[in-house]
Amino acid sequence: MSVKESPVKEIPVEGITYDQIKIEKIPATPAYIPRDARLIPAENRAVVINPGYTCMPLGAMLAVLGVRRAIPFVQGAQGCTTYVRYTFCRIFKEPAAIATASFHEDAAVFGGRRNVVEGIRNLVVRYWPEVIGVVTTCSSEIIGDDMVSFLKMARKRLRDEIGAEKEEAVAIVLINTPSFAGSHVEGYNRAARAFLETLATRRTRPNKKINIIPGLVYPGDIREIKHLLQEMEIVGTVLFDIADTLDAPLHPPQSLPYYPPGGTTLEEIREMANAAATFALQPEAGGAGARFLERRFGLPAVVGPMPVGVAATDAFVQALARFTGRGVPQSLLDERGRLVDAMADTFHHTMMKRVAVFGDPDTALGLTRFVCELGMTPVAVAAGTPTRTFGRAAQAIFAEYQHLFLDQPKIFNGGDLFEFEEYLKTLKRLDLIIGHSKGKDIAGELDVPLVRAGFPVYDRFGYQKKPIVGYRGAELLLYDIVNAILDYRYPDDRTQQL
Amino acid sequence: MTRKIAFYGKGGIGKSTTQQNTAAAMNYFFGKKVLIHGCDPKADCTRLILGGKSQITVMDTLREYGEDAVTVERVVKTGYGGIKCVESGGPEPGVGCAGRGVITAINLMEEMGAYTPDLDFIIFDVLGDVVCGGFAMPVREGKAQEIYIVASGEMMALYAANNICRGMVKYAEQSGVRIGGIICNSRNVDGERELVEEFCARIGTQMIHFIPRDNIVQKAEFNRKTVTEFDPDCAQAREYRKLAEKIINNDHFVIPQPMSMEEMESLVLKYGLLV
Repeated sequence: MSVKESPVKEIPVEGITYDQIKIEKIPATPAYIPRDARLIPAENRAVVINPGYTCMPLGAMLAVLGVRRAIPFVQGAQGCTTYVRYTFCRIFKEPAAIATASFHEDAAVFGGRRNVVEGIRNLVVRYWPEVIGVVTTCSSEIIGDDMVSFLKMARKRLRDEIGAEKEEAVAIVLINTPSFAGSHVEGYNRAARAFLETLATRRTRPNKKINIIPGLVYPGDIREIKHLLQEMEIVGTVLFDIADTLDAPLHPPQSLPYYPPGGTTLEEIREMANAAATFALQPEAGGAGARFLERRFGLPAVVGPMPVGVAATDAFVQALARFTGRGVPQSLLDERGRLVDAMADTFHHTMMKRVAVFGDPDTALGLTRFVCELGMTPVAVAAGTPTRTFGRAAQAIFAEYQHLFLDQPKIFNGGDLFEFEEYLKTLKRLDLIIGHSKGKDIAGELDVPLVRAGFPVYDRFGYQKKPIVGYRGAELLLYDIVNAILDYRYPDDRTQQL
Repeated sequence: MTRKIAFYGKGGIGKSTTQQNTAAAMNYFFGKKVLIHGCDPKADCTRLILGGKSQITVMDTLREYGEDAVTVERVVKTGYGGIKCVESGGPEPGVGCAGRGVITAINLMEEMGAYTPDLDFIIFDVLGDVVCGGFAMPVREGKAQEIYIVASGEMMALYAANNICRGMVKYAEQSGVRIGGIICNSRNVDGERELVEEFCARIGTQMIHFIPRDNIVQKAEFNRKTVTEFDPDCAQAREYRKLAEKIINNDHFVIPQPMSMEEMESLVLKYGLLV
């Protein structure tokens, strides 16, 4: 019997192959002009170079995608939607259904009323969403669209066409997001407040549930939070639960129009007014929602810190225990024990390693505290979005771990990544950078490893599933940090025995 | 209950003068607590109340010191009779977006809680014509519920008043805003009272008051004062007193029925003003 010829044939490679590509770095020649020192701080410049944040509607759209059968409707030009969908696809590798009002020249002149009234009608009769999150943009805010009135007209248009019953079944939440007034962090924050203000309007039957507003985190983080709640036998509602909507299994669609599984349901959001307490894990992204429930219904609000590392997760777990009367189970103590064990096992790699941290403000603070717990030495910490409290909060962490540094670490409250990079270049030694994908080129330029964490990570796979919160999340992050240090080609005198 | 009212009208018609004189009369004769929010980028809506002091505007503060620096203490000034004054401010003519300035300033004031519930009246003084979405901000939902249009017997003033009514019809349905009446700030043109009264009847509202022309208004303005402050016993002060009283007791709020251009022209022709 003759061997059948394989149908797979090797494709001959032509031209320059990957292994032949080598790009020589051009060294700084005498002709190289050093940067003008006055122009390095972002506040002295009229331009932002490598911004550490993205636009406000993006944060709001991410939030809406965490609601079951919800579609964001973007009151703006198409690019406002296209860019965000592209970004979400890069990060989550999932489709994101987002509708757009499709502004053209005429909408800029005559206002976006027709766009939203007709757009919502089209969206409803084709997709039958349960929730529409109407997200405004710079252009709509500048031309002064009176969205409250427009949405009333849109509702009337729907009622006339599909009847009152079907019209009332669609919840519409307006989120004002003029991007010139803040970043994606504020967009998420406003979404949290808008959803609760619009939907959680009545406290009828108080229950023992806990509300969690996770902030700008990944599906993996949300699963980890749910795991902590489950271990403590606490029933919780996660508002903007992207765990399944943005990490869905690949099945053929069972029905059309297609909606991903999971997401916080409309009923759950309404019920949030009846809960026992609200936890906003990121004060800057979601804190406004928790504070609204506190002001309106007297629901205690626990706003931050983001549970990254031992102390912050301890604080989170203890606060959960305090509000629910539940004890901390042995299983969580074991998880904590394993994390502390891993920290002890790797301490000789992490101790005194000089690290720079950047990201969204609350993530950056969480990561900073964790690297301090590891005995690393933070040399610079940067929040992409400036906040009122970031400087003080970072100072407080540094005061607690004062013994770790000789020099005071540099704090960047806002600014841009160019300023951050130029500062890092002045340091005598830097071992590691922790931050999101926008730090890739900085790490390459400085020739130090980058451990990816925070929002957004779009140039590696799996990060959206990998938590950094909770004890197990911290353990996974610790492995990334240690392995990055081990992988790195340090000079022999700085390599340590495993 | 705070009543929020907005003054609109053609540029140069005497809107800010009338508005400030009304506010002063409301306070002096009727003891009302008033806040004036000037929504004109020129920021000249509170000059008479503040005795000529030019006020630091909300937008200037925002531009120079950032959003965190905008506080009630910084941007709300107290003038004659304890009347509180705010100016939105905005860009110079020809640059930027003045309409957005109005939106931002009102949003900031609401966020800071500057519209306190102890106020009897909040008066929005809006620039000449509603030219874009921003200048309709004061009549959006939850904001001003009544509008007074300052006009005179001149064709262009009535034309502008008619245009403002056209804009208001849209808002009336959505936000519930109503026209409280037309204030005729006399220019001493022939048949002025009759013309304005007929105009009001045609669009379905009232001429709430006819303010005769009196030089004491200019005199008071030179002294950077409202008439009420300058000479509370003069005849003109009594006119503003009457206007204030009528506004306080007003219960005639309607959705206007603006006229077409042809109707407008025939109306003016009838009174023989187009010679």
